[in-house]
Amino acid sequence: MIDRKVMVFGAAFVLRLLLICLFPSLPDLLTGRVEVSTPVNSFKRLQEGLFLYSGNVSPYDGGTFHQAPLLLPLFALLPDAKTWPLPTAIFYILVDLVNAQALVTISESGQSINSRFHSAVRKHVRWNGVSVAAWFLFNPFTIATCLARSTSVFTASGILFAVSNAVSGNSVNAMLALGFASYLSMYPALMFLPLVLVCYDRRTQSPQAPKIAPFILQHAGLLLASVAGLLGLSFLITGNFWEFISATYGFHLLVPDLTPNVGLWWYFFIEMFDSFREFFLGVFWLHLASYVGGLTARFRRQPLFVITSLLGVFAIFKPYPSISDASLFFALLPLYRHLFPLMRYTFFAVSAMLYSSLLGPAFYHLWIYAGSGNANFFYAITLVWSLGLSILLADTIFAALRDEWEQDNPGKQGTEVRQV
Amino acid sequence: MTTKQGDQASPQASASQPNESTVKSAPPPETPAAVLTRFRVIAAFWAVIIFLGFPIWWKTTSIYRAHLPIEEMVDWADGKACRPVFPLEIHLATPSMQSIEAQHLLRTTQHTLDDLNEFAAHHLRLKLANDSATASHSVDNGFDGAINAEGQAPDTALTVRLLAQEGLAAPRSELHAATTQLDVFYPPSQVPVPSSSNSPLSAFIAEELQQLYGEEKATIAHILSGHTGSLDSTSPRIAESISRRLRRSMKYAETYHLSFSLFTPGSEPSSWDIEAAVKEYLSPLLQAFEPISNFTVDTQVQLYANFAPTAPRPEYDETEAAWTFKKEDLSAFVNAAEWPLNPSIGNGPTINFILYVPDPSQSPLIVKENRASSWIVPQWGGVYLLNPTLANSKQGQVNPAHLSQDSLGPAFMTFSHQLLTLLGTPSTPSSLPLRLQTSIRIRAATLLLSASSTMGSLARLTESLPSIPIPASVASSVSTTLSHLGATCSHLREGRFGAALASARVAETEAERSFFEKSMVGQVYFPDEHKVAVYLPLLGPIGVPLVVSLLKELKRIAAGRKARRAAAAA
Amino acid sequence: MALLFRFLQAFALLILASSVAAEHTSNWAVLVSTSRFWFNYRHLANVLSLYRTVKRLGIPDSQIILMLPDDMACNPRNAFPGTVYSNADRAVDLYGDNIEVDYRGYEVTVENFIRLLTDRLDEDVPRSKRLGSDAGSNVLVYMTGHGGDQFLKFQDAEEIGAWDLADAFGQMWEKKRYHELLFMIDTCQANTMYTHFYSPNIVATGSSELDQSSYSHHADNDVGVAVIDRWTYYVLEFLETQVTSANSKLNLGDLFDSYDESKIHSQPGVRWDLFPGGEQEGRLRTVVDFFGNVQNVEVENANATEPGSLKEDLAEIMRLVEKWQKRDEEYSAIIGDSAQNATEKVPSSSNVNLAPKKTVGSTKMAEDSNWAKQLVGLSVVGACTAIWVAGSILGRSAV
Repeated sequence: MIDRKVMVFGAAFVLRLLLICLFPSLPDLLTGRVEVSTPVNSFKRLQEGLFLYSGNVSPYDGGTFHQAPLLLPLFALLPDAKTWPLPTAIFYILVDLVNAQALVTISESGQSINSRFHSAVRKHVRWNGVSVAAWFLFNPFTIATCLARSTSVFTASGILFAVSNAVSGNSVNAMLALGFASYLSMYPALMFLPLVLVCYDRRTQSPQAPKIAPFILQHAGLLLASVAGLLGLSFLITGNFWEFISATYGFHLLVPDLTPNVGLWWYFFIEMFDSFREFFLGVFWLHLASYVGGLTARFRRQPLFVITSLLGVFAIFKPYPSISDASLFFALLPLYRHLFPLMRYTFFAVSAMLYSSLLGPAFYHLWIYAGSGNANFFYAITLVWSLGLSILLADTIFAALRDEWEQDNPGKQGTEVRQV
Repeated sequence: MTTKQGDQASPQASASQPNESTVKSAPPPETPAAVLTRFRVIAAFWAVIIFLGFPIWWKTTSIYRAHLPIEEMVDWADGKACRPVFPLEIHLATPSMQSIEAQHLLRTTQHTLDDLNEFAAHHLRLKLANDSATASHSVDNGFDGAINAEGQAPDTALTVRLLAQEGLAAPRSELHAATTQLDVFYPPSQVPVPSSSNSPLSAFIAEELQQLYGEEKATIAHILSGHTGSLDSTSPRIAESISRRLRRSMKYAETYHLSFSLFTPGSEPSSWDIEAAVKEYLSPLLQAFEPISNFTVDTQVQLYANFAPTAPRPEYDETEAAWTFKKEDLSAFVNAAEWPLNPSIGNGPTINFILYVPDPSQSPLIVKENRASSWIVPQWGGVYLLNPTLANSKQGQVNPAHLSQDSLGPAFMTFSHQLLTLLGTPSTPSSLPLRLQTSIRIRAATLLLSASSTMGSLARLTESLPSIPIPASVASSVSTTLSHLGATCSHLREGRFGAALASARVAETEAERSFFEKSMVGQVYFPDEHKVAVYLPLLGPIGVPLVVSLLKELKRIAAGRKARRAAAAA
Repeated sequence: MALLFRFLQAFALLILASSVAAEHTSNWAVLVSTSRFWFNYRHLANVLSLYRTVKRLGIPDSQIILMLPDDMACNPRNAFPGTVYSNADRAVDLYGDNIEVDYRGYEVTVENFIRLLTDRLDEDVPRSKRLGSDAGSNVLVYMTGHGGDQFLKFQDAEEIGAWDLADAFGQMWEKKRYHELLFMIDTCQANTMYTHFYSPNIVATGSSELDQSSYSHHADNDVGVAVIDRWTYYVLEFLETQVTSANSKLNLGDLFDSYDESKIHSQPGVRWDLFPGGEQEGRLRTVVDFFGNVQNVEVENANATEPGSLKEDLAEIMRLVEKWQKRDEEYSAIIGDSAQNATEKVPSSSNVNLAPKKTVGSTKMAEDSNWAKQLVGLSVVGACTAIWVAGSILGRSAV
């Protein structure tokens, strides 16, 4: 078993290294792709910020850098990526492997199948941790993200570690990790509720079970404290609190940069009448946030599944999505291998995604470089991509509901399940 | 996409139908737990909508319209709020007269003046300059007299000095060209006797003053009447010159950008003493204009500047022994396409001054009709053809490599004159300080009217376009404008024209800023049916399942309550 | 009685207005093509042909606002790169050497167009992109593109409605941004675009009635697309063959009478009712009132002596300069040390008001503190790790 794990991790490491060595221009090419790099996770922009930072200028002065300031001292430790690309690349590969390790932990805890209130009907249909990790490590989207050195991987680490610590019972670290992820990208804070429920369910399996309300409040405090601590640290580094808040979180919230990406926001806000812009910013953010309550209430029995589906929702509806968000969703999906037999539109979803990931770059080229297409070409493809993802998401949710229903009504196969 | 619920509903429905028909078993009754879960889910969605969605909708879609004092604005535009008057104070210095005589002379002259005046808004007020300290001060300062008006005293427009001179048959006047002083020489015999109600001297002075301010009066009347009418007494010549001046002068701006360019078709001259020339010849004038506008200056030298390919070429005229341009060809002289003339920097309009040094082979270059070497392009700038003395070299005759300050003298004097013209300075009287004062009054009147009419436009605009947003900055600009308009009006009434112009400038700037506020371009025409098109495609797919589920839930609760009540009754 | 009075008043106003109306002091042209893509080549050619005509008749580039949403000359499908032709004989390259496009590509939007007309632009928009017309300006607005009933499509995404256009002109009139305005539009159902105008002194003309299409005139087989629209073609034919010089006396009546429905294949329309004096008065405006520029330079007569003439002024300025110098000397005599400042003040007064440049404070890039940065990095990483380890210990003990 150990050997297999070493093999998978080693192979992933070697594969990435090989790609970098064989195609030295590949990382930079991927870094420039809009599908991979968005204004909030682009490595290019990080380097710009890093340059300003190392020159003792405020990294937000140029208006190109919008990422969390703590990344700067971290990357200041690494040698310059232009002259020495390898250390940075290896660092990113290691982050990928660490993420995979977190996935292994999550998978082996078995929380996706057996939790406090829930036990899946098809327990036997499952993959072990190494297979789940392999699924993550050899996902082309993950590889592309890794090669493009997108800073989304740190958010992904934060989320995965929050979940892995939560399922292994360390709720303090879960909150710390979630705090780190929220500090980096803001939206992971929405996962607090399901995550704290995972922690709570895990805790109640031990003898002295705390009351739920104080438990949640306590952990909310912990999350706030960790975010506040990180913000304080950032303040020490940048020196100008409001500048970095408006350049990072303000940039996330108000979506001023409408560079094309695989999401739905940019085109919509280009087209929207200016007077309605603010209103629809509110609508889009609320839409994103409104899933938390509904899904948590519906899947009270499987909070880990809520986290998974929320990741899917974020990959579709967040303001600056990239394929790294999809890859995180895909990373958690294999935990629900037992649901796959219940899903009915996998073919359609997968082909839509394949179709769009192949045609997306082509249409982007037609639009931007050849000038023979227009924005609608690329937007149509991102619509297909989002459609594929949402079909997959809806199908998974349906399968999970079905699973719950079958658990409640043993022996009955296939009758009505309603959601909302 | 946004309809996760929608996507969800249809497969379920289709999935359940065949099953039900084949298995023929009704779906099992929902457990109370499932019902509760469903209630929670719906409540969670609706909580977000009600507690966050509606406030956001309310906050972001309401159009902010700051309150504007519409009535006051319209009053200004209609001229109800202020009737501009121009009382000019003229000091009468009578060093060689008895005080009684002087008083009498003053009265009679004033009387005559009032009789002569047919335009009530502009009138001359005579005053004895016995407190001669101020008078001499203002005489010394010339045009500054009008400017230091921050105090309470009205500006002195003119000082008339009455000097007795033997051996004159009739009074004679002489205007000091560099100051605001008019010397009137009179035969001592003509000093009016206090008993007479009329005297040749007072009639002469009144006539003289009337003539001095004739053009100004006509201009102001022209402006105040909204460019439609003019005074009956205005001679056609003056009326023509007024309208011509208004036609060629630049639109008023807070800041003018003066651009001096040296163009030459060859490689020389390649340098000029521009800084010294500007300082020497232009600065005094710009200083004098300071109360009216600000100026910025930039300069350039452009070598190898050719005429436009389609432009007519100069022709050699034997009789003049010079190369000549025909007058009608001059409009094509400036090669607007290739000469870099529009710097387009800053906010102010540019006034272009072109110094053209012709090629040695085409020198000297003049205008055919009248041998002039300069002309004005209305509302644009001026051109001066400079024909420097050619130097001999191996290649034949060449232009000098450097233009000294002295050789630029005539050109820059001409530019100064062109600047005066382009800024709309009136041509009479022949004293420059007086003309500048007149300019100040004319500008004050123009700005007062233009700012008032902008207020009216803004008021009508806000009323006619109810959907346009009005930011708070507009309201504050409007109130600044109105207060400065009021100040302008009262300054005018009290004869402090410098201060009036200063307020009018602020009023004009603020009025323009309020009218041209950038954010006041909304989607101007946006009927309600368009709003449906905005809201429905996006909110419909989300809203319909939510509303339907809410209704079902409410129905269930109502039914449950009824059932419970029925049970209780039973 | 009151009614009669009001009528009389209106009549008097009308007469007054018409008696002064003929004067205008400058000419501006706003030429807009609103469609992009290669197959709309003809719209660009329409606008460029008109651009060429107004330039020929004397409106300088600085007073022409040209809006081109696409660059046909550099389109890869253009068989004659760098050129645009509006006729199959390809006699005149409209692109030429001297065209100044003010708004191009995706800058051509409804919003920018309305902002241009109403001058609600950012302060730092250069003057070349502004319509600097005033109460004395005659403005020609020409638009072409794809339109429909009361709208004209801009680019491939948005459209301007007849109401918006009417309101924009209304605001221009309110702010005295034109003296007289000639609005021309060549698009399908063009005449519907000016139905909502309400501001005075506008003459509007369009190529086709409601429910009528405007057709292209002919295609150039080598270019591969239609090169000009019918209505514009015949308008241009009139302008190019009849209005040969800026002194032409032909009037708008002649221009509109030249419309031939059998050639244009649609019914062009003219709207006079906003013009004071209506059709009768409007017809008398010459074509160059709108298509040409006020052409007069004023040559200064070096010999004239009347007040305000060059000679007089020169003498006065001379005196002013002399006086100033004297004053300067006095100043330096009196103030002594501070004279330096006084003389410096003279040139600075003319330069001090140079447009305030926003200087971003230059910051010195210091490379030497690399070690410090790495130290900071290490301590941040250290702190995070410490908290994490502490968290793991705490969390484990809590379980």
